[in-house]
Formats: sequence, C-alpha cells, structure tokens
Amino acid sequence: MHKNGTNCFAVIYIPFYALQCAQQKRVLEKHALQNGPLDQLAFDVIETDTLRVGEQNPNDDASSVLPAALLDQEGMQVIELNYAAEDAGVQPGMSTSQAIARASELVLYKRSPSNEEHLQHTLLQLGYRYSPFIENSAPGICALDLKGKRIRKHQPWLRELLAHLRSIGLKAQAGIGSNPEIALQAAKIANPILEILEDCQLLQSLALESLAPSPFLLDILKNWGIRTLGALTRLPREEIGQRLGLEALSLWDRAAGRSTKMLQLIQPPETFEESIDFEQRLETLEPLLFVLRRFLERLSLRIESIYLLIAELHLVLTLEDGEKIARILQIPAPTREVDTLFGIAAQYLETLQTTAPVTGFHLKVMPSRPAGHQFDLFQGGLKDPNRFFQTLARLAALVGNEKVGLPQRLDTHRPDSLQMLMPELGWSRKNVKKSGRPNTGPGLRRYRPGIAARVELNDAKPVLLQSSLISGRILEVRGPWKLSGNWWDRTRWETKEWDIALDNGGLYRLAQKTTNFNEDLRRTTDVNDERSASLALQGQWEVVGVYD
Amino acid sequence: MPVSPEIIELRKILAERYPQQTGSHSLCIPTGWSPLDSLLGGGLPKGAITQLLIPNISSGGAIVLHEIIEAMQDVSQYVALIDGKDSFEPAADHPLLLWIRCHNVLQALKATDLLLRDGNVSLVILDFKESPDKDLRKIPGSAWYRFQRITEENGNTLLTVTRHPIVSSAQITISTMHRLCLDDLSTQRTDLIKLISLEIIRLRIQQDYRYA
Repeated sequence: MHKNGTNCFAVIYIPFYALQCAQQKRVLEKHALQNGPLDQLAFDVIETDTLRVGEQNPNDDASSVLPAALLDQEGMQVIELNYAAEDAGVQPGMSTSQAIARASELVLYKRSPSNEEHLQHTLLQLGYRYSPFIENSAPGICALDLKGKRIRKHQPWLRELLAHLRSIGLKAQAGIGSNPEIALQAAKIANPILEILEDCQLLQSLALESLAPSPFLLDILKNWGIRTLGALTRLPREEIGQRLGLEALSLWDRAAGRSTKMLQLIQPPETFEESIDFEQRLETLEPLLFVLRRFLERLSLRIESIYLLIAELHLVLTLEDGEKIARILQIPAPTREVDTLFGIAAQYLETLQTTAPVTGFHLKVMPSRPAGHQFDLFQGGLKDPNRFFQTLARLAALVGNEKVGLPQRLDTHRPDSLQMLMPELGWSRKNVKKSGRPNTGPGLRRYRPGIAARVELNDAKPVLLQSSLISGRILEVRGPWKLSGNWWDRTRWETKEWDIALDNGGLYRLAQKTTNFNEDLRRTTDVNDERSASLALQGQWEVVGVYD
Repeated sequence: MPVSPEIIELRKILAERYPQQTGSHSLCIPTGWSPLDSLLGGGLPKGAITQLLIPNISSGGAIVLHEIIEAMQDVSQYVALIDGKDSFEPAADHPLLLWIRCHNVLQALKATDLLLRDGNVSLVILDFKESPDKDLRKIPGSAWYRFQRITEENGNTLLTVTRHPIVSSAQITISTMHRLCLDDLSTQRTDLIKLISLEIIRLRIQQDYRYA
C-alpha cells in the first residue's frame, strides 16, 4: 500500500522470456498434433508442461525441473538457459553438442522471433489495460507508471494480469517500487508479486549482475570483492565516480534505489495477430483447429484489454508447396466470444480443401467498436446474428448457394425469373421495402423443371394431357397467353401458356415453348445451329405448375 | 424468481396500450392473417408444431401460404420457408422471407433441423405439399418429436404443410377443403380468401412437463 501522490511504478517481468516463448510454441504444437481436447483442460496441460521445463523461480526446488536451453535461429548455439541447465554446467554460447554433453536430459528449443513479438504485444496490451503510461522496457519486461491510479491495493489487479499471462502460457512476476529500477529488481525476485516502496534493504542482497553492468565494470568490481548491490552502495558514491566514471555512478544510483530514469512511454501496437510455423506439416484438420482456438483465446484476451470487439478474422494458411491461402471472415455481429468466433472460422476450415499439407498458420483479427442498436418496442434484429449466418452457411452447403436466400423477382416478364439474395450483414426488419402483392387469383406451385407432356389439340385448344405425373381429360381451358422477350438477341424466348382444369379436379398451367434459346442451349449450340435449335423446341409442351 | 411489481405494472400498461401486440404473446405467434389468427385464438402456437393439411389438388393451400408470409412481412416478422420440392412461386419480393429450395425430403428435414436449432427465425414453414408420398412415409416419427423438442426449447414455431397427416407430434392440425375452379383464377384475392375456410381437425392439449 502506498500513499497517493508519491511515485509508484510496477514492472511485469517474464523471466527467460525467449525460452518461455519457445516452450509455449513447442507445447502448443505438441498438443495440437496429439489431437488434444479443445477445452480448458488442454491449457492446464500446457501450463504444467511449461512449468516442468521452464520453471526458474529461485524458491523452487531446482531438482524438480528439467534443464532447458534455447538455441539461436540456426539451431547451432545456446543463447538462453534455465537454472537447471546452468546448474548442469551448460553455458550460453555453447554448441548444441557441447550442451548435450554437459546435460544429457537437456531439452533444446528453437527460437521463435515471431512468437516472441506477438507475446510482447500481448504483454504491452494487457499492461495498457491497467495504466496508460507504459514502457516497452525489454523483451518480456513492461514497466507501468501508476501515477494517478486511484487504487490503493495493487496486488489484486497485478494477480489478475499475471493470471491472464499464465492463461496464455507465460509465467510472469511483478514488482512494485518507487522508481522503475526498484520495481524491476523487485519483480526479478518476486514470487510472484513483491512490493518495495520504502525499504530497499531487500535489494541489497542481489548480485551485481542483476543490474546488467558492462563486463569491464563488473570485472573490476568483482576484483575489488564487490559482489552484491549492498556491498556496492556501502562504498562512497563520489569516490566510485572519480575512479570508475559515469557508468559506475549510474550503477551506484541504481543499486541504491536512486535511479531517476524516466519511462519512455509508448502506445501498445494496435495489431492483433498470432502466427505459427509448424515443425511438422499438418495433414489433418484437428491440430489446426486446436491452434485456431488457442489463438482466438489469446486475441480475444488482448482485444478485451482495450474494450473492443472482433469484427473480422483474417486467416492465412501456408502450404508445404509455398502456396498461401488467405481468407477474410466477417463477423456479422462483432463479438469477443471465443466459441462464436471459433465456430465461424472452424466452419470455413472444415470446408477447405488444400493441395498440400499445412506448414504455417497466421491469424489476424480486426477490432471494432460495439455496434449501437436502439430497437423500438416490438421490433428488433436477429437474436444472434453470428449464429444465423453460420446456419445460413450450413444451409448453403446443404442445398447449394443458389438455393438459399431472399427471393427477388427480376425485371422481366419471363416466367420463373428470380434471383436469390443472401441476407446481408445488416439484414433487419428496418430494411423492409413494401412490394406489391398479387391482387387476383390463387398461388402457383411451380414444377421445376416443367413436366414434359403430350397434348392433344382440338380446334387449336388442348383437350387431352398426357405426362409422366399428370394425365387426364381437359375440361376447361383459358388462353393462350402469349409471352415473349429478348427478341433482339440470342437469349430470345417465346411461350404460350394455358390455364386448364383437368378431370382430376386440379387447375394447371400448361406451356408450349415455341422458342427457348436459353443460356444452357447457347453454350451447346453455335451461331449456325441457332435456327435448328429453335425449331427443335417448337411445339414442346410442358406442365409448368399447379394452382393451389 | 418472483417477478417484481414494477414489471407486472409495466406489463399491464403495455397490455392496455397495445392489446394487439400483447395478451397471448407468450403463447402464440400472431401471423397477422386474421382468418388463421382468429381460428387459433391469436396465432400459431409458440414452441409447438402446427400441421396444415391440404388433401386436395388446387384447394387454396398456396393462397394460405402466401397470405401467412405476406402478413408476417407486414408485421415485420422473419419467416423461413423450407420448400420440400422447390415449388414455391414468389408473387412479390419478400425481404424477410428466407427461402430454402430443397431437392428432396431428406434435405428439407436437415434444413428444418438447422433452422429450428438456430432460433433466430420465429416461424419456420416446412412445405411438403408437392413431395412424393413414398418419401414422406419414410420419415421416422422420432424426427417430428425431435422437432417438437427443439421448438419447445427455442420457443419458435414450425408450420408443416402436407397432404396427409404425417406429423405425429403436431399440437394443432388444421385443414382446408376448398376446391378452386378456373373462374377463381381471375377472382380478386380478397374475395378468394373469403371462400377458403380453415378448420381445426385435431387439437392436442399440450402437457405441462419438462424434459429431464
């Protein structure tokens, strides 16, 4: 607890950041390839695994963790290692074979810069949720200026922040201090939160290396027998400055908790993306869905930190042959609900067929503000637009895209001319345009396609109908109604229609197509055969529908 | 949880001010087509299946269908029409009608299942009038009970249009027996509607029970 008005800083510190990022990627891939369950249980497993190999908290029993080391991008040299690996004699700069020779059970990880970058963005975005004054201090380190924050107790929100980081597979520590340096040192020794505001004695026992002095300066101080911060601050400041220069003065100030360093404030990046390059190619959908869900959870958490919603999903799949498949999925009603977003993306992936196995996956989400709706008392939009558009996609997959939608008549007299419009994202009752309804007669049930028939004529009027489904004596007839159109081009059509009453009690519409040079025929007929095709259709009868 | 007195008071005020919108709103979906609404005491029962039987050829079934769709549109309600044989002929543009043109009975049943589970559309019409009897007879009775369960859970309404009574779980079965003649083709629609008489031929009292 501290008094308002005094300086107060918090630092979020992720120890062995690059190593933890690599471990997180490995665990994600491992569980994806093992077809792990797509629920929270899977993430508990990830966390356990991460702790097993990556734990480095000084208070933990070092023997309970496996030595782990991070290799550079080429996979040649060790660049970071945990305490267990250090205890086993592994040192940064060693080659892979040297490291394994020192510790046979050493687990090696390959560095993943893209994952580190995305997770650093996550760290900054989560930090920004709690303070607008943040500094991107270093990879895995974020400093927050808590000036003006009207919360007296910092532990609860810091615990929440650490829990968020833990949920995405990163184990972090937090420190609070009267200046960024003290807060950082507190974070480094915290378990998991340490608050040092007045008593700096806790820091005195820290090794000089914790302030990362230059090797030259560190060497001199060690030769003098100075190994801790306390030992350094017991030396007179001016004497140190005279003998070792400005760097030593700065080191002394930092060791004494008198650092006057200002935070270099930044705005967290507004890009929300996650990507992974798989070490093993993916040939089935389940691993990809596992990774997709994990990414969506992380991105949703990041978007939540800035109080926005997800409006678009940009998916890019990299195939083994180098081809990239990109798709933008719009979310009808922007949301942060992982289940909804996952359902939409998974539905697309389930229908996707690729020519080669997947080797990489990139997901970017576009944030959006919550849409404001003000419905009147008895009107509203769809209850759940996201679910509705998912259902529409399923219906389209079931019956075909052209068979689902809102019917709209085309501007022509040609019978059965209509188009199906897919409801748009803003499909709502307010968009209704009143259109004229028929004033006369019953409705028609149309046979699609029409039923081919043989018709006997008497005095140019149909008297007998024979077809595969409907046959009988025609009792009464109205017509013919002559219809034609598009006479000026190759899509011309001409038909005569009769309304008939059959002896079975039914009222039917009968058509005699004299010319029907439609699109299908045009494809199969060249210009020279145009006349012959027209002639072939002359006199073709069909029952087009029944009045009901 | 007990309803607060303010809510009860608000409901009373709304019922007095908008009698056509409230009242039986929790029990049925008014279609806006008065012959049907008056017959059923307010509209199609919510959370249940209604079966419309049209046993004869050319007996006004399409008129009933068109009137319901247009009336629902007039009161700005979404309707989904699952067309079992792709035979619906839109007489006007229907911006609130979602039309699913199926090729066969199986497709139509799957589409009905999807739409009922979706729950966004309050009235789903399943038109099997033109579907072959041999295909309809193959529909297991359990399919209709499953639909009944979904409508109960989601509070939407399924209206089936068939020639024969096949929907074993329908709460209400209504029928129209009118026979159209050729002169009716030129009769005003308003006059034609008066000729079509709907009648309830089966009414199943809904048991007040809950599924485990």
